[in-house]
Amino acid sequence: MIRTETIEREGRLIAAVLLDRPEKRNALTPGMLEALCEALEEAPKTHDAVVLGGEGKLFCAGFDLSLCKDDPSGGVMRELLTGLSRACAIMRRTEKPVVIAAHGAAIAGGCALLGGGDVVVSDASAKLGYPVTKIGVSPAVSAPFLSYNVGLGVARELLLLPELITGETAHTRGLVHELVQAREEVRERALSIAAGLAGKPPHAYAATKGLLNRLEGTDDGEAFRLALEASLALTGGEEEQRMLAALDL
Amino acid sequence: MPEFATLTTEGSVATLTFNRPDAHNALSIALLADAHTCMDEIESLSQTDNAPTVLVITGAGRSFCAGMDLKEVIIEDDPTLPGQLLESLARLTHRIRLLPMVVVGRVNGAAIGGGCGMVTVCDLAVTHDDAKLGFPEVDLGLCPAVVTPWLVRKIGPGRARQVLLSGGLMSGARAHELGIVTGVVDSRDELDGAVQKLTETLATGGREALGATKKLLNTLDGSNELDILLEAARLSASVLATEDAQNRLKARRK
Repeated sequence: MIRTETIEREGRLIAAVLLDRPEKRNALTPGMLEALCEALEEAPKTHDAVVLGGEGKLFCAGFDLSLCKDDPSGGVMRELLTGLSRACAIMRRTEKPVVIAAHGAAIAGGCALLGGGDVVVSDASAKLGYPVTKIGVSPAVSAPFLSYNVGLGVARELLLLPELITGETAHTRGLVHELVQAREEVRERALSIAAGLAGKPPHAYAATKGLLNRLEGTDDGEAFRLALEASLALTGGEEEQRMLAALDL
Repeated sequence: MPEFATLTTEGSVATLTFNRPDAHNALSIALLADAHTCMDEIESLSQTDNAPTVLVITGAGRSFCAGMDLKEVIIEDDPTLPGQLLESLARLTHRIRLLPMVVVGRVNGAAIGGGCGMVTVCDLAVTHDDAKLGFPEVDLGLCPAVVTPWLVRKIGPGRARQVLLSGGLMSGARAHELGIVTGVVDSRDELDGAVQKLTETLATGGREALGATKKLLNTLDGSNELDILLEAARLSASVLATEDAQNRLKARRK
């Protein structure tokens, strides 16, 4: 359900790491996140840049909640949150450029993946956001990545208000860096940006990305640990179980 | 019963109202004391099964809050009063930020100086385009120290620098562009509808999930630190006590 395609663009090798479960709107399972982490670790070793995208109509609808609904222990939710945090950290820490092609929709855990990218591309009418408090889940796990990208004030709004915003609004907020009009154009634009970034002198790119990571604390990991723990603390709790049970899937 | 600030609750939404409309809800020592009493109440309410999911903060009458009551900081008999007022304000902002429920500013009219600071303490805030917001402290020879950490957390240090050092006032629309408020409507008539929609959306979130998220955000952005606010209150009081500031304040009174 995770597939890596090698695409040659402007003489550079781009790894398109794709969420490939279109019949389930690329909903994330623990196994998919494990495979995603592995692909994100491996791809930069053999490619000049990485594009993370999704097959089908949209990028990613978030966690596969049908698995969480049948799991009162909260174990699946814990695996999903942990895998998500790890995937973002891997993208952040790799020295190679990482571009996210978020077409159509990037919701909840899907939106959280945006936090790992150097550049995020989406389309004007895409739906993005973190409405997970509606199912008793705290999006705290995304808070460090999101606040580095959009600032603390906007992160507070996006994480506390359980609603979706359009790609256009996300672009004005800084969550999306490059906006195209149609969802079909997103991947192409992402590949072309990735090729452009891969064409920069690699040591300069790596040094600059590394410094930014150091300034925001991505290389330290303390904020990520706290954020993940804040989300994990609620898993299997009464509120989460009640709100998940009320979900009509 | 507190008089200058009141707390009401309706379902999952509590409302704190600054209630000194004749003085544009200026933050006097008495108003701040009443607001602290309201905080006692909502803090204990938040420990119960009936804990609200949202707290709305607003002002009675036409203004949201005109900021520190400048009449009370002219030093006459008791030179410690400005310091007391500023410390009480600093502690109030800290208590509001640490509440477990989501705090929404209903910025019904002018929000100036410490009043605009109160807006930046809120997690979310909505105003209308005719409201005037801003930090004119430097224009008055004062230092907006207590609000500075909150504004920096809200809109980032670069924009906060420009806003605080430039002074003056801005429209609701400009405050929205800068990120001081998270929503703006065209006119005051539309404000209640917008606030209601916002509180209804927030109330669809789980109380624990929202609380845990807010707590983590407070940890990440340094909101838990009280010392920096108390230090800011002392700095603001020391600038207030200068001859220049006092002369300007006395000239305004005339």
